[in-house]
Amino acid sequence: MFNKILIANRGEIAVRIIRTCRDMGIQPVALYEAADRGSLHVRLAGECVLLQSAHGYLDHEAIVQIALKMGVEAIHPGYGFLAESLEFVEACQQAGVVFIGPPPEVMRAQQNKIDILERVKAIGLPTVAYSARTFDVREIDALRAEADQLGYPIVIKSTRGGRGRGAYTAHTASQLDRALRRAQAEAQIIYGGTRFYLEKFITPAHMLGVQVLADDHGHVIHLGEREGSLIRGNQKMIEEAPAPCMTPHQRERLWQAALEIAQAVGMRGVGTVEFMSDLEGRFFFTEIKPRIQIEHAVTEMISSVDIVREQIRIAAGEPLSFTQAAVQLNGHAISCRITAEDPWRHYMPSPGTLRRVRLPTGHGVRVDTYAYSGCAVPAQYDPIVAKVITWGHDRMESLHRMQRALGELALIGVATTLPIHQVIVHHPEFLAADYHTESLRRDMPEDRLPPEQARDLAIAAAVAYVRRDLAGQPSVPERLQSGWHRSSRRLPE
Amino acid sequence: MRKVEVTVGGHTFEVDVDLNQRHDSELSVKVNGEAVKTSVPDLDAPIDQMEWIIVNDCPREIVIDPDLRWIRDKTGVHFLEVRDLEARVTRPVSRDGRIKAPIPGLIKAVFAAKGDWVEAGQPLIVLEAMKMENEIHAPKSGVVTQISVKPGQDVTLHEVLAEIS
Repeated sequence: MFNKILIANRGEIAVRIIRTCRDMGIQPVALYEAADRGSLHVRLAGECVLLQSAHGYLDHEAIVQIALKMGVEAIHPGYGFLAESLEFVEACQQAGVVFIGPPPEVMRAQQNKIDILERVKAIGLPTVAYSARTFDVREIDALRAEADQLGYPIVIKSTRGGRGRGAYTAHTASQLDRALRRAQAEAQIIYGGTRFYLEKFITPAHMLGVQVLADDHGHVIHLGEREGSLIRGNQKMIEEAPAPCMTPHQRERLWQAALEIAQAVGMRGVGTVEFMSDLEGRFFFTEIKPRIQIEHAVTEMISSVDIVREQIRIAAGEPLSFTQAAVQLNGHAISCRITAEDPWRHYMPSPGTLRRVRLPTGHGVRVDTYAYSGCAVPAQYDPIVAKVITWGHDRMESLHRMQRALGELALIGVATTLPIHQVIVHHPEFLAADYHTESLRRDMPEDRLPPEQARDLAIAAAVAYVRRDLAGQPSVPERLQSGWHRSSRRLPE
Repeated sequence: MRKVEVTVGGHTFEVDVDLNQRHDSELSVKVNGEAVKTSVPDLDAPIDQMEWIIVNDCPREIVIDPDLRWIRDKTGVHFLEVRDLEARVTRPVSRDGRIKAPIPGLIKAVFAAKGDWVEAGQPLIVLEAMKMENEIHAPKSGVVTQISVKPGQDVTLHEVLAEIS
């Protein structure tokens, strides 16, 4: 087993990996850019190194050099940044440092998304319809011809893909140019350029992923599926396991398909086999995520497996510490992904300082976050601030616990999506598991409060209003004149 | 004394608030004409740090949106409608057409030029921050009288990006 691991990431995932390193008796080494100097992952790590170059967390060479200098045996990339960078995996191999993820040949194969789709089709499993080849951003005419053939709506995806970034949907031919421009611009920021391919877009749909673990000794097992169908843009807002949209029979078939696919493509380490399903329950393979996913914690809650621990063990060449038969999926877990974005300003990122933080706790509650009172939410990075995860014996218990946990959570100082999450976890249709990828566009129910509670809140609002007015702020904020709560009952888009 | 109408959770109340008459944190408050014993311990803190309110000796923890769009308590988020019943001065919200950077970041694209007619809501500028591309929309319809930024330029918070007459 390793003695020292370098964590090439930041934020909540770096904190989460450091915790498992500590639990395994491994020394975690952190990296940071100047803007992250006071961040929690830096505070929790044993040693930390400043990244001086302009590329920061994306600088392959600097990171490999630091790994050698610090005497680490392995590098954990987390998600995003270098987690799916073939160049980085190769650089690690050349330097003799273990990359905690798939080996270069597997990463190379998995980056050819069309080839993976072909292989899945070849073993007789259903896939989404896709373009026959990849395209350069300049091949707009060829791309349009292919899109016409597949039929709209289509989604343009980056071959470097993952995390819903660099992927944009076009519902009609007229939206194709704009979707491509935005996909290209985003891929440029995140991956530094890419090629694109097209997929037929299923809507409304359910988004499913099966967690798979594969060691170097031929063992491939799964830890059940997750559903992350409540999406805004391409970002999942809430994930749960098991997927409430599936029957036990469909679930068995999905697991079996995921294992067959993982074996067919030679998956190694931890990964997620992703599917979309239509409302009739027919599922279609979309892609493989060969890394730890943001929403992995719901699976950890129902399986009692520390997935990062297994990932590190597999990278060290050890066999999986349990068999499929030993996996007991127990109860239900839900995760709310809270980001520093202002729902009432078109989800504009809202960096700043979290002046006050109070995290929920108690039985069945887990919070993965880098937030503490006084911490910075830097403008340079992904806006995820916290994941609140709750477990229950059944879905209803985990939901009640989530309502309670979000009520306890305070994140004061920057605008976050927390109010939207609270509305969703109280929504009767979400409580009834009646939702899919288009559900955030639905109307919200009337809010009915007991009169005394409403009176107290009204007093608080009136006091705040008068104080605000005395401070010379606009007497009626513009959004109160045309807010969704007056003219309609929809969540802001 | 100020009179405000607040609708929340399906109920509407007329609330009189007098911030000039206070004993420590206790305020003079009337709801629908009746005095209600109210304390606001964080009265002098910024609005989003007003952490609790004590009505009839019953403390209730809250978080209020600084723009008064919602209020949170243990039971979730409740949307607010607030109407000033005195409306002595209706200070209009700034609609002067100046578009300011809502966050610091990098200008990725500019879709309008000086002299263009733009419709309210039309995307004007793409600002990159937090690894996201953020479209900035025209706040109203009008003629673009000024574009102050170019793609590739870094902007600071509240820097004026463009102006619409």
